Amino acid sequence: MIAYLVRRLAWMVFVLMGVMTLVFFVSRVIPADPIAAMLGGQAPPELVEKLKAKWDLDKPVIQQYIIYLYRLSQGDLGISIASGRPVMADLLHYFPATFELATAGTILSIFFGILLGVISAVKRGSFIDHVARVSALLGVSMPVFWSGLLMLLLFYYTLGWLPGGGQLPYYMSPPPRITGLVTIDSLISGQFSVFVVALKHLVLPSLVLSFFGTAAISRITRSSMLDVLREEYVTTARSKGLSEGKVVMRHALKNALLPVITVIGITYGRLLEGSVITETVFSWPGLGRYATNAFLALDFPAVVGSSMFIALLYAVINLIVDISYAYLNPKIRYH
Amino acid sequence: MRSRSLWFAVLGMVGFLFAGFAQTPKDVLIIGMSHEPIIDFEPARVYEFEGGFVLEQVYDQLVNFVGGKEAFEKIVPGLAESWELSEDGLTWIFHIRKGVKFHSGNPVTADAVVFSLRRSLTLAYPPVWIIQQFIPSPEMVQKIDDYTVAITMNQQVGEMLMAAVLGYQGICSIVDPAVVQAHATPDDPYATKWLAEHDAGSGPFMLKEWIRRDRIVLEAFPDYWRGKPALRQVIIKDIPDPASQKLALERGDIDVAWNLLPEMIADLKAKGQMKIIETPSWSFHYLAMNVGYEPLSNVKVRQAIRWAIDYDAITKGILGGAAVKCHTFVPIGMFGHLDLYYYQDLEKARELMREAGYENGFSVELLTRTDPPFPDIAAQIKEDLKKINIDVKVTIMTYSELLKIYRAQQHQMVLVRWGVDYADPSAQAIPFAHCETTGPEAKVKQLAWRNKYVSGVTAWVEQATGELDVRKREIMYKAIQAIVLEEGPYAILYSPLTQIAARKVVQGLEIPPMWYYTELFSVSKTG
Repeated sequence: MIAYLVRRLAWMVFVLMGVMTLVFFVSRVIPADPIAAMLGGQAPPELVEKLKAKWDLDKPVIQQYIIYLYRLSQGDLGISIASGRPVMADLLHYFPATFELATAGTILSIFFGILLGVISAVKRGSFIDHVARVSALLGVSMPVFWSGLLMLLLFYYTLGWLPGGGQLPYYMSPPPRITGLVTIDSLISGQFSVFVVALKHLVLPSLVLSFFGTAAISRITRSSMLDVLREEYVTTARSKGLSEGKVVMRHALKNALLPVITVIGITYGRLLEGSVITETVFSWPGLGRYATNAFLALDFPAVVGSSMFIALLYAVINLIVDISYAYLNPKIRYH
Repeated sequence: MRSRSLWFAVLGMVGFLFAGFAQTPKDVLIIGMSHEPIIDFEPARVYEFEGGFVLEQVYDQLVNFVGGKEAFEKIVPGLAESWELSEDGLTWIFHIRKGVKFHSGNPVTADAVVFSLRRSLTLAYPPVWIIQQFIPSPEMVQKIDDYTVAITMNQQVGEMLMAAVLGYQGICSIVDPAVVQAHATPDDPYATKWLAEHDAGSGPFMLKEWIRRDRIVLEAFPDYWRGKPALRQVIIKDIPDPASQKLALERGDIDVAWNLLPEMIADLKAKGQMKIIETPSWSFHYLAMNVGYEPLSNVKVRQAIRWAIDYDAITKGILGGAAVKCHTFVPIGMFGHLDLYYYQDLEKARELMREAGYENGFSVELLTRTDPPFPDIAAQIKEDLKKINIDVKVTIMTYSELLKIYRAQQHQMVLVRWGVDYADPSAQAIPFAHCETTGPEAKVKQLAWRNKYVSGVTAWVEQATGELDVRKREIMYKAIQAIVLEEGPYAILYSPLTQIAARKVVQGLEIPPMWYYTELFSVSKTG
């Protein structure tokens, strides 16, 4: 197991370097001038040239790459052209909000996805199965900018049940930043009322984010459950006189979960990279908006830094998913 | 029994989550605004509008502009209560107001003014060119006594231009030297890192809290020299999505929505429940023609293009009335504006094409940006120019790609935006009309140069900048505009309206043509 982990970690470094190199060169061959765009059409040419030199953009691309590699080896991701701050500081500032939202979204996806998938499989062909399958289809196909605004219109604007956007009410100061997660920080600092309000603010955006994951998880749970329910050991369990609930939950579901875990991993990875649209509609100060703005402005250091960070997240989640297989199915061994 | 308890717990939780929400307090103004462009609040560096808007509330300058559409027509004393020009016309003497305090409680003195302006000139961040073009060296700012400062310029500069430059936010903001020095470090002697997130000003509000892409909290400064602001607090909340801003405004969660789209403003106007504040902005969307491209080198072709465009279809149709027609580079409301308008006259345009020898037309590429409304306007221009046999190929690209081509003089036509940098016609005449040569040795490499338009009025532009006689100066700018309008490489299309929506309880909110000069000092709420 340890040898396996070491091999996977080494592979992870290799993947990150690959992502970095690819993104570095692709972003630099685009015929654009990010410094001119940042300064605007008005800026005198001398100023543009001066700032290009500051970001080493006046040097040949290979030299820029070597400089970047050297700085990276010191743990320095460079300074963002747009924010003027270290990219690492920016990533650490924006990631917690995304982490909080993605985690809430994934939990909701798992809960609703598995629930719908199991019911669909057990009641195959019934009305509830059809409803679940149509819901799954809607969940996958509904664009977030539409579903997000629809949810805001219904639950915030019309009914007034839930807050509209942001992590807290507009007039409320956040708790002291410790982890960067508003819910956790409010608990750590003993502000329970802030925790409740932060939780309320999480409901709508995480629900919207969970649509896609719920759909994917419910579909895979359904098909996996249908396979498992046909297995002989399920028939044996039934013949032993166990209740249907116990058969489904204890015998079938656990064995049906293996492919579901993979989908959960992919869903979580997708959500962790940040959703620019959800973050925009719900005024969420997350990584998605930061990375997207970096790409649009061709903010080179932020583009490469964000890409590596997102690649790292995927790599870590994949590793966790692979390891979790062993706990679900002891027959799986790592070599 | 167990399941019943569970249901109660679930219902309790749902009730808890769905409990009501508080409204905005009466003495707190909550503004919904996109924070995307904000970099930080270092006064010497701030160049983006949103950052300037925050600095406007936190810092003072020597002179000030107050009010709405007419804000820049009158120079109002700021930290300087009076000023005069030396006999040689090169040095402005400022008499600093006594008894003014910084937020720290320290007094505002001549030392602070000298320190602040020299600091900006020494740090030389991007916006420095605005003052550096007239004050190239920090030593040109001198203290005469504790409450008198002399600023020498490298050329004669009239009162209006002086005020436009020294009243500029950011680089001309007066900072508290003691606070700056207290946070200075050996590798950051001007405390730029600290000032990026804090304030050292004397303005009506203090920067209390800033969380990136989340919220900016300003708190009233009770000892402000003009009196205590009516509001206790201003919260500028990052709401990047216009639709979400509108919902929040209508729900009463915010008092002002800053980034609504024209159709949203139209909807709110129709409903009549909100206050809509509109001001023509000092910015333009314009079509530029590269004179180095052969058919466009013919002045009659450029004139034909200007007569062929359906300006009303753009302002009323595409923009739904959220713009005013403006074809001269000195905008409406600015000193020296020339009130001349084009309209679509296809017969005249065809006649000009015949006279130019291009009766059968030609092909041309038009580059524009990806963001609205540029692609729609480009499509309208394509349709209009087709009527005079010009086949326009529209290429849409990101702004960073477009600027690279435009700056290298490699375009044929571009459709982009231009904003006024400071409140004086020289800020416009220099980029639009100053070009003595198209080569790399040109003194000013801005719009005229980029379009390879060797302007016959370059000398006038230089003369008008330093002209002290106001009447003469106005005539010169009008003449320059008339010539550039007739033979220049631009078809200026319109000035967009700045449109802000506010709840009716908000009083005293006025928007100047450069919206980032909006003052919140006199704003109040009735409920």
